[in-house]
Amino acid sequence: MSTDWKEEVSKCSKCGKCHTVCPVFLETGDESMVSRGRISLAEALRDKQIVYTDKLRDYVYSCKKCMRCRTVCPSGVDYEVIISAMLRGVAENMGVPLLPRIIFRYILPRRILFDTMLKISSKIQRFIPMKKRGQMRHLPLLFMGKRWIPTLAKKSALKKLRETKKLKNPRMRVGLFTGCLINYIYVDIAEAVVDVLNRMNIEVVVPQGQLCCGTPSSSMGDYKSSKKLADLNREVFESHKLDAIVTACATCTKTIKMDYLRTLGPSWQPMSDKIYDISEFIEKYCGDEYEANPVKEKVTYHDPCHLLWVRGISDEPRNVLKKSSNYVEMDQAGACCGGGGIFTIIHYDLTLKMLERKVASIERSGANTVATNCPGCVMQIADGFAGKNSKVKTTHSIQILQKALVNGGIDKGDEK
Amino acid sequence: MKLFGKTKTEDSKHQRVLRELIKAVGREKVLSAIEDRICYSYDGTKQKALPDIVVRPGGTSDVSNTLKIANKYEIPIYARGAGTGLTGGAVPLMGGIVFDLKSMNRIIEICPEDFVATVEPGVVTKDLQDEIAKFDLFYPPDPSSAAFSTIGGNVAECAGGITGLKYGVTRDYILALEIVLPDGSVINTGRKTLRSVTGYDLTRLFIGSEGTLGVFTKITVKLIPKPKKIETLAAYFSDRDDAIDAADLIIDNNILPRTLEFMDKMTINAVRSYTGTDIGEDVKALLLIDIDGTEESISHEMPVVENACKENKAFSTKVAETAKEREAIWAARRSISPALYNIAPHKINEDICVPRSKIKEILQKVDQINEHQTIYIANFGHIGDGNIHVNIMYNDDPGQAELAESIVNKVMREVVAVEGTISGEHGIGNKKSQFMELEISPKELAIMKRFKSFFDPKGIMNPGKMFLS
Amino acid sequence: MEQNPHNKIQAKVFEEFCDSIGRENVFDNIEERVCYSFDATKEKSIPDLVVRPHSTEHVSKIISIANQHSIPICPRGAGTGLSGGSVPIKGGIALDLKNMNRIVELNARDLTVTVEPGVVTKDLQDEAAKHRLFYPPEPGSAGFLTIGGNVAECTGGMTGMKYGVTRDYVLALEIVLPDGSVINTGSKTLRSVVGYDLTRFFVGSEGTLGVFTEITLKLLPLPAKIGTVMAYFKDIDSALNATDSILIKNHLYPRSLEFVDKTCVDTVRGSAGKGIPEEAEALLLIDVDGNEKNAANDISRIDALCSENSALKTSIAKTDDERDALWNVRKSVSTSLFKIASMKFNNDFCVPRSKVRKVLKSVYELSKTYSIQVAAFGHIGEGHIHLNVIHDEGKEMDLSVHKLVSQILKEVVSIGETITSEHGVGDAKAEFVELELAPHEIEIMKDLKKMFDPKGIMNPGKIFV
Repeated sequence: MSTDWKEEVSKCSKCGKCHTVCPVFLETGDESMVSRGRISLAEALRDKQIVYTDKLRDYVYSCKKCMRCRTVCPSGVDYEVIISAMLRGVAENMGVPLLPRIIFRYILPRRILFDTMLKISSKIQRFIPMKKRGQMRHLPLLFMGKRWIPTLAKKSALKKLRETKKLKNPRMRVGLFTGCLINYIYVDIAEAVVDVLNRMNIEVVVPQGQLCCGTPSSSMGDYKSSKKLADLNREVFESHKLDAIVTACATCTKTIKMDYLRTLGPSWQPMSDKIYDISEFIEKYCGDEYEANPVKEKVTYHDPCHLLWVRGISDEPRNVLKKSSNYVEMDQAGACCGGGGIFTIIHYDLTLKMLERKVASIERSGANTVATNCPGCVMQIADGFAGKNSKVKTTHSIQILQKALVNGGIDKGDEK
Repeated sequence: MKLFGKTKTEDSKHQRVLRELIKAVGREKVLSAIEDRICYSYDGTKQKALPDIVVRPGGTSDVSNTLKIANKYEIPIYARGAGTGLTGGAVPLMGGIVFDLKSMNRIIEICPEDFVATVEPGVVTKDLQDEIAKFDLFYPPDPSSAAFSTIGGNVAECAGGITGLKYGVTRDYILALEIVLPDGSVINTGRKTLRSVTGYDLTRLFIGSEGTLGVFTKITVKLIPKPKKIETLAAYFSDRDDAIDAADLIIDNNILPRTLEFMDKMTINAVRSYTGTDIGEDVKALLLIDIDGTEESISHEMPVVENACKENKAFSTKVAETAKEREAIWAARRSISPALYNIAPHKINEDICVPRSKIKEILQKVDQINEHQTIYIANFGHIGDGNIHVNIMYNDDPGQAELAESIVNKVMREVVAVEGTISGEHGIGNKKSQFMELEISPKELAIMKRFKSFFDPKGIMNPGKMFLS
Repeated sequence: MEQNPHNKIQAKVFEEFCDSIGRENVFDNIEERVCYSFDATKEKSIPDLVVRPHSTEHVSKIISIANQHSIPICPRGAGTGLSGGSVPIKGGIALDLKNMNRIVELNARDLTVTVEPGVVTKDLQDEAAKHRLFYPPEPGSAGFLTIGGNVAECTGGMTGMKYGVTRDYVLALEIVLPDGSVINTGSKTLRSVVGYDLTRFFVGSEGTLGVFTEITLKLLPLPAKIGTVMAYFKDIDSALNATDSILIKNHLYPRSLEFVDKTCVDTVRGSAGKGIPEEAEALLLIDVDGNEKNAANDISRIDALCSENSALKTSIAKTDDERDALWNVRKSVSTSLFKIASMKFNNDFCVPRSKVRKVLKSVYELSKTYSIQVAAFGHIGEGHIHLNVIHDEGKEMDLSVHKLVSQILKEVVSIGETITSEHGVGDAKAEFVELELAPHEIEIMKDLKKMFDPKGIMNPGKIFV
């Protein structure tokens, strides 16, 4: 285990400023669930005052890893280094639970197995009574805990977009990294990315060999598995000649652009430099070149934590939306929606509280649609509105742009 | 007298206490796992001491019942808000029980017509300010930690803040307190009216008592109308004394600015290299001034303030025209802390206060004490009241920590010599106990100790703080 | 020593006092003692000696001797208190501090001033004004009341609305304790949080814990201009509506907001109150301060708001003289009430603003029930009311008045609030303290009193029964 986490830990001045932005602390007021507290636990580990226990693991998992604390820390502590080290420590000392371990090590690196596993689960669900609300199904199974998730798509995005639509004289050739949620559930987001870029004369390849970015494994400290996935993804993407790689998932972008630098080393830098969030890419390379007929919907934007707090990107998605819709800003757009990963399974009650606040902000904005740049946030926020039988639609910003480019024509995504 | 001992008798006492506490307040409110205790072992001074138990009271009766048990077994009690104090106030030096009062965080009521509000101690100051702003009301005490420190903590330390010159400090805004005394009994001091003088002022006695006399479970505060507008000015000087003179001239012109902040050369240098702001190399001192009131009052006062700066050789002044500009000007002040940490990893943050006429003298003395410049000292703060934060930054090189401590020692003596005070707003805690004798005579100290033993004969409330035992 | 059958002090002790501070400063003749037997409550009790110290050392010596022989001490400034605070009800020594009346040091740059206790508040105001500074707490009796008395009672005054009260301005004290020892509390800086707040604890202790021999106060810059308007209303409701409009709806922040009810208006009309309309049953007197322009703007806004709330007439002061005349109306209310009857019981309670109407209604109803005249006036902006009960002399009348006052105070406390907001408890209200303070709290205060004054010599009989 690297020692740079110890350096970071000693930087903490215990001022408590992280209290002001931590979404979990906002709900609990519990010092063990805020950066400063977790850092003091890291110190205790460093000083051998404590060992790894269930309780410690729970506190480590209670971190949303939104990195918002890092943006306000006066002492410049790189909290990500610390929490990653703690997650790794948990995995190394307590092991990763069996089912996740199997999935991370044996299923995620093998696309066919992954496809198969999901197909089987969705078939089994039919025999188990489940609740439905709107587009959401309550999946009472195993590791998904009490989550409500949307139906799996009939055909995955990778399969649907296997054939690259060739353009006559494309000005660029980019690869699309779909990520799991988009691949298996929100296929229309992937289709919207391809469609939009094609309309801007950019050819899009969806490399078939791509795998999960590795976030689920690293979020449980299983860095061995996530390294394996990184290596495999690297092979796949480096084998294509691409001017850039885009993703529509803020978490995937963060992982493959930034975390892979740590996992794969500085040799990944040239690739990392070419990786963009889709809005970021459009603003950078397509700028003012497209004519969009703004859709009638009143749209507001939710900042995914990994895009805003980790990468500092907030203007680009908004610019795209301002050109393609009747845009309104919501209050506290940067507040975490509570969605994403292990947290929602282990701390479902907190997730719901954070979601409540987000839904309230959206309602206050008067928007009838909320757009965001992360399918995890889409799923979470859609769940919030489904629970209220609300008419507010949740979507990805690229889908709004697609609609606007199609001149407000019927979007197949409406039927979902 | 720690509970977490290894002997059989100590351990069984620990078990008994735990059982009684759980019975009294409920299992979910009593934490004894080491992972939890670690998280409540420190405050903003980086000191650490492990408590034996953490209790999260739900209300006054929980606090009272816990104190009864603590009193019975003579267990130390440490009240804690956000745990962000700068003098060690919330650090459980002798183990025992930490009260996590963040669990009592309701705004009980706001009465806009009466200009009062009542809150539980764990309410974050900024949350109260935001709530009452909806009624166009204002709670002035605004410590820089307002976004995360609690009202209870503010009252225990009698916090100040940037608005002190014009609006006063915490003790001027507390009307009534509900307090649980160390024996578990509950008293109410003060009244919820804007004026009251019935009997002795116990309210003021408890304000600033740093958790050594009792625990606040309800706090009634006075509110005032929220000023309609705030305007900001930054003035840049090439000489520290000019800035101080400018501050004097502003007050001489019968204006009390909402804030009157000062930053010296070392502070500015740190901020400049950290944020890369466009504060020129020639700026050796700056004043950051907020004026509040109505459009008309500001339009009268701001030019006077600006002139006062210019008359004292401010080579540049900037009045913020937009909210964004205002933000940018204040960003410099807010980035002082991170900027200083960029220079060295350890900080001693003193908050001396001297009579206004002695500000120049004390700053010169600080310069003299650090004449070999082996350590980075930045001075900034509420120059309007004479409250200066002397920040001493040091690293892990051998001898640095000791040098920093000796500088503090010398500075404190100089401060007392000019009839200043060793703490303007941070309080004593355990960090400044050693300096109390410089300022407080033995007789006075004896009286304070008598108050302490009057209310807390067993010495269980925040032991190890304020007085050197 | 003159032989006097009522003087309980032994000749030996008398000699000690004379030796310690000089014979010329110790008075045992009855004429002198009678002059120091009362305050503004008209209560009377003749002290055994009147002693006039000139310095801290004197005070310390006197108190040491008194402590040794368990002789009560009653400190006194101007003797104009309204709760019996400086009446030596247990005899003993009347400690006349009027000779300790130096302004020791005014530091304009520091915004502080240090004074001896006998300095008259108005004299301090005048001195401060020379430096364009001011000491905000301005009780009606500022012209003759002493700072020492202000601090002992924690007086409020006309400017409390905007500027707070005495305790907000006391930075440091030099105090002679009941055993004769001298301590210094607080700090001469504008902020200090070192140890317990002994300074503020002593403020308002009504002379029961010690004697102030030096007081350091905070000063503020003197506002350039004060705007004043008086508004006359046909009934109390309109006046109170105007108050709500000014404070709540329009969030204005006056320096003073005073009100006067029908009984008071009737007594001042014709004398101090020339030009008060016949139909006026209530009036408001409002001050704002600031610079020339905004004081004028604020006052005309307030003027407009009063008119909007059915004011019969408003008068804006255009000159200092006009301002003084308007304030004179308010300041003469207290004494004018004696036109109704020769005795007056002064209450000064404070209720939450939102409860003012309710309290006044109860009070007027009780007054009717008891057929005893009451008059209400005061700093209504803060929910503060001076409620005077005016009556003729007579034992039976005294009993009725006492019953009425108890009822009123019970009402007040049940509506939530405090029986004295600036006059102090003294002995006049000692019996009512229980209405407001819980037994446990009173016990604590008594024990603290004992801690400082085990022999019970400092102003005995005050605050606690």
